[in-house]
Amino acid sequence: MAQDPLHVLWVEPHFPGRLGAVADWLVRHRGYRCWFYCHTAEAREHWPASVGRGLELQVFGVGGAAREQAVAWSRTLERSLCYSYGCWEVLEARRPRPIDLIVGRSAGLGSTLFAPVYAPAPPRVNLFDYYFHPRQNDLAAEIAADTATAYVHWRRSANAIELLDLEQCDLAWTPTHWQRHLFPPEYRHDLWVQHDGIASAGPADNTPRNVRAARRSLAGRVVPEGTRVISFVARSLERLRGFDRFWHTANALLRARADLICVIVGDPVVQRGLDVQHHNQDYPSYLRKAVAPSDPERLWFLGRTTPSAVAEVLAASDLHLAPGRPYPVARSLLEAMAAGCVVLASDTAPHREVISDGQTGLLADVADPDALYRRALSVLDDLAEHRPLGEAAAERVRSRYSQEVCLPVLAERFSMMAATRRGE
Amino acid sequence: MHVLFLHDAFPAQFGRLGLELKRCHGWKCSFLVQSLSSCPTPTTEMLESLDLHQLPLSAEHRSSDGIPWPQIFGMYLEQCQTVFDAVRARPNLRPDLVVAHGGRGAPTLFLKDLLDCPIINYCEYYFATSHRDISYRIDLPPAEPAPFFPRCINAPTLASLVDCDAGYSATHWQKQSFPARFHSRIEVHFDGIDTALYRPGPAPRRIGEASLPQGTKVVTFVARGLESIRGFDLFMQVAARICRQRTDVLFVVVGGEEIHYGWDKLHTGSPSFKQWVLSQGDHDLSRFLFLGRILPEHLADILRLSNLHIYLSAPFVVSWSLFNAMATGVPVLASDVPPVREVVENGVNGLVEPLFDIDRLTAVALEVLADPAGFSRLGKAARRTIEETYSIESCIPPIKDFFERVAILGAGDSIKELSRDPSRDRLV
Repeated sequence: MAQDPLHVLWVEPHFPGRLGAVADWLVRHRGYRCWFYCHTAEAREHWPASVGRGLELQVFGVGGAAREQAVAWSRTLERSLCYSYGCWEVLEARRPRPIDLIVGRSAGLGSTLFAPVYAPAPPRVNLFDYYFHPRQNDLAAEIAADTATAYVHWRRSANAIELLDLEQCDLAWTPTHWQRHLFPPEYRHDLWVQHDGIASAGPADNTPRNVRAARRSLAGRVVPEGTRVISFVARSLERLRGFDRFWHTANALLRARADLICVIVGDPVVQRGLDVQHHNQDYPSYLRKAVAPSDPERLWFLGRTTPSAVAEVLAASDLHLAPGRPYPVARSLLEAMAAGCVVLASDTAPHREVISDGQTGLLADVADPDALYRRALSVLDDLAEHRPLGEAAAERVRSRYSQEVCLPVLAERFSMMAATRRGE
Repeated sequence: MHVLFLHDAFPAQFGRLGLELKRCHGWKCSFLVQSLSSCPTPTTEMLESLDLHQLPLSAEHRSSDGIPWPQIFGMYLEQCQTVFDAVRARPNLRPDLVVAHGGRGAPTLFLKDLLDCPIINYCEYYFATSHRDISYRIDLPPAEPAPFFPRCINAPTLASLVDCDAGYSATHWQKQSFPARFHSRIEVHFDGIDTALYRPGPAPRRIGEASLPQGTKVVTFVARGLESIRGFDLFMQVAARICRQRTDVLFVVVGGEEIHYGWDKLHTGSPSFKQWVLSQGDHDLSRFLFLGRILPEHLADILRLSNLHIYLSAPFVVSWSLFNAMATGVPVLASDVPPVREVVENGVNGLVEPLFDIDRLTAVALEVLADPAGFSRLGKAARRTIEETYSIESCIPPIKDFFERVAILGAGDSIKELSRDPSRDRLV
């Protein structure tokens, strides 16, 4: 199937967000020409290579509820509509043409809902990440009972923009089967499951990990030879990604082994509103007050850092912990697997989709408070025996979740949609 | 069986149904309502025998006028919260079944945190982004929200629909307005027309204080609001042409000046679509009686006087007035649009012509007025259609059966569950 170059309009509240890397790959590997409409953008050093060279960035403003610092739970759709409207206003002003395809991701805010008012003909693809259940998944099962009624009411109402996007798009796209399963049964059949892929970390370092382990350094600090390294990586150090579990496990491991350091990457401030109890707070500080670290010198907090620094951490890691709640699989988990880390994750449905316990990683029942600790300790006690798990993990990502595998499939689907609309 | 009905207004779709279920089957029927309706009004028996609970009215709930379109979903959520608070405050109100009107989304979103019973949505309508309902009248000047509002107006409907246990629509066309993915969960059950009230027969030849001269022909037009979606402007064009051809016709127009659907105020710049229409043409208003809103008994008398009922709706939910006119045995001339064609078969139980074809509509209306006896068979067939398919007597038994089936299945074990293809639910 030909994968023709297309003109694509991308809309996502934040750039590069999730779609930026996809657009970038399609520009560089398939000759696409793209307009990427967003409300905010990361600092320039986080932009992909093709910006200004086939990927044109356009920022749109928002008005009304979207300009407020925070809105009441009952106004979340109003805010989403402000994003969608803001995008439409700039489309009308800039009038990008031609457009073969529109691809959007609302990400709980808003994206392409009104784009067809400007461009009614092109097919519309939407990427769907998550569908809220009132008392299940993420942190809901743990906090809904102790939180104000409005929290559950918000969760029952927060899917409105997703439902509107689902009804009006031509292709509903979601990265994993677990994410598809979150959506109401009426929509599941139409949700196309295709992962958007993990970028390869650059030219492969074929040095065996045991050789590499002898000369490791992280963020300018040398890791002493013979030291075991465990890693935790997340956008922010929050309960959703299991940082509380990591904290308790790491403390126990530090007590058990004097040759261990724990390397932690992520913003200490909780960014997602899902954790209503700690949102916008420094969660590691909260944990430190509750349970003092057994050896602070061996807890290396790197903060939010660059992709290359993350790659360095993962290359040095002997064991990567991902003890998060049921939520879409973190890219850092797939990146750890791609780097050949031995991964120990919470035994949740989303993790089971990418990790086969005992084959491509390890899963621990978090209902048993010691299970994570016991499995981690067994890995640290015998790294060589567990090394095949890391190698199998890297192969799993290479074969199923790499950009080189995933994005040609996406390009083919996009090509077919555009051709169908042209009547070919 | 104890059913809790939820609707902004009472009696609306559910009052008469509740009364019949109580009177004939001994069910307990409770209602959470915001206001008593003036179209139609509740009967004394309804007020005395049904279990009515008044919801508090916030400023936003009193009128939807002036609420910016992006805030409609927020208003819906506040209504859901109001219903939630009202049920929580009434611990004795624990029904076997909730039946909720979903015209702007059934306000049931939070009830599953309180009630362990199935929820049925009355799936009145799902708005289109073009070619139907409020987007149909492209002949009128454009209104600023027109491209945007239809793309978000269904959010309350979708939120309540994915959450309910079953749904029903009044007609097949209304069911088809919903996305196909939901069709297996929506049954079709019409509300039921009161054929004892709306029946053929003699009526006093007077309207209000005015008596009707012998030989005067009556043409009726009825709508809750005299607005573009119901074709009031097109009716006035047809009426003006009939006036030029015949001097013996009186046009009786029933309906308020409120705008219930669409953007007539924005289309015209006038607060009243009726006044805007009247200002556009050279109408001989001595030939018209504008009655505003009237009681059902009065409407039934007027329909019995009618020689021709004109119904020129855009493709949208068919008005009760069309069913009422047919039940009364009046020949009906209606717009040839799919929701009307579900009820009216051209030349059999009524007449249909293209909505915008003023020439055809006028010609056919004049044919009927020239030979009322010749067209009386259409009125008789219309009455039969209503008796057999749309009367209270024919509609309530299947609705009762539907309610019982859903109630027996229980919450979460509903039609939604039974109709689901298990092979689609596999995670991987």
